[in-house]
Amino acid sequence: MNFRKDFPIFEQHPKLVYLDSAATSQKPKAVLEALQNYYVSMNANIHRSAHFLAEKATIAYEATRQTVADFIGAKYKHEIVFTRNATESINLVARSWGEAFLKTGDEVLLSKLEHHSNLVPWLQVKEKIGIQIKYLDIDEAGQLIFEESQITKKTKFISLTGMSNSLGIITDLKPIIAKAHEVGAKVLVDACQLAVHSPIGVQELDADFLVFSAHKLYGPTGVGILYGKSDLLEKMPAFLGGGEMIQQVFEDHFIPGDLPSKFEAGTPNIAGVVAFKAAIDYINSIGFEAIQTKEMRLAEHALEKFKTLPYLSLIGPQEIENRGSIISFTMNAVHPHDIAEGLSQKQICIRAGHHCTQPLMDYWKLPATARVSFAFYNEMEEVDGLVEGLEDVYNYFNSF
Amino acid sequence: MDIYAQNILDRYKKPYYKKNEMGRGAKSCVTNGVSSFFLSHKEANHSCGDVVEIGIEFEDGRVKEYQFSGNGCAISMASADMLGDVIEEMTEGDILNLTKDELYQVLGIEISVRRSKCALLPLLAIQNGILQHQKKTLKSWKDYHI
Repeated sequence: MNFRKDFPIFEQHPKLVYLDSAATSQKPKAVLEALQNYYVSMNANIHRSAHFLAEKATIAYEATRQTVADFIGAKYKHEIVFTRNATESINLVARSWGEAFLKTGDEVLLSKLEHHSNLVPWLQVKEKIGIQIKYLDIDEAGQLIFEESQITKKTKFISLTGMSNSLGIITDLKPIIAKAHEVGAKVLVDACQLAVHSPIGVQELDADFLVFSAHKLYGPTGVGILYGKSDLLEKMPAFLGGGEMIQQVFEDHFIPGDLPSKFEAGTPNIAGVVAFKAAIDYINSIGFEAIQTKEMRLAEHALEKFKTLPYLSLIGPQEIENRGSIISFTMNAVHPHDIAEGLSQKQICIRAGHHCTQPLMDYWKLPATARVSFAFYNEMEEVDGLVEGLEDVYNYFNSF
Repeated sequence: MDIYAQNILDRYKKPYYKKNEMGRGAKSCVTNGVSSFFLSHKEANHSCGDVVEIGIEFEDGRVKEYQFSGNGCAISMASADMLGDVIEEMTEGDILNLTKDELYQVLGIEISVRRSKCALLPLLAIQNGILQHQKKTLKSWKDYHI
């Protein structure tokens, strides 16, 4: 099925081949209409004003919370906290849970695959209270190398990606989470990429925390999601202070509000949250089975074609198994920026750089890679166009 | 396909000043009344992995020899090479006074916002090399208003 017609940007740019959905997705018409509809028909501040518009806005905002809870299989709606982005969600956990429950010498386990947003907040906790940070290694395909002995009594927190934004590998988290819980460690799953490509069940996965962002999931920018188990969120101190997150404020102290408002200080991105519901409804109307089938066909076709170009090197997984529709590669003697610049002239948008995974790039001894990421609105002809574009770029730089 | 202007491509493919190894040159010496010194400095664009190290030998206060080494995209490497033409015979002060627009003019192509750091990395490297030599505060990207 062709979904391109659902995305108005392709009307503005009919020749656009958008292969950078892992950075941010394009937005379906339903989301854009929901954004406008919010401002036109119910714009008001939520949870406070006692008038009918505020009532309407609050109901719409809270409806998204329920939709998100259902989307990831959360037990309770109040386990969903809205933030600005997934980065803020991880920072919230690192600062609030980390600073309350970690002590000097405790270990936090990360992996070489992690995005900077799942590294720096923990490095900041390290700077502050002197925790030890350890890393799971990866094999040549980019999969985590995990041995149970890597999780010890000292391990208090584990924060891992569910799918690498640089390599596309889908990590095998269940055995890690099981072992973590044996020693009483908590686990955060960075599901920014995974949530786009696969259904998630937080209870089945038994993740303690899980984060993702709306804008990669066909929703607006400026909305992040934090899922946390109710009992953990209850015990955590508030993160940002201000309006909405309190029960009572006195001159010398305050009493934080209940979940989830305890973690939602200040006026949130109401329009963005309201419109995110339209994105999830849209995804649900298509279904993950259809989305995955389409995306994996695109990725498989691209992998097959890439392997016929002798000057391309795939970085990370070489095969279609255990991966999402993200492919990283390099081209002999052509810098990734120059590849992206050449393709951009043909209105083919790809990403070039370190993809916010500098330790991973160091591990591979690469300064940068080129990365294509497919969404279900891409078509097989676009993969063919990409391959022709890559051939042109190579010939251009090697023609004299 | 025509990604870059021919001059950029030429200098990327066949640079005049690029060395595989950075020479260390003469360190602050006076020979027959002529004073000379060599400075080198490296800068990197961590976001794209481009690295440029420049080396300059000054004699009697003016550039006698320029060289660079590095890795990067066509624009950063061509810019590093063309910078060698620009600074010929310049003093330290002349180099510090160079603006991004003067370098863009020499490159002769329109530099998009997304490629401005590629084009200006060699300028940052050379100006910081001199500032470091003069024991002054180094520049950062905010000083180039990009």
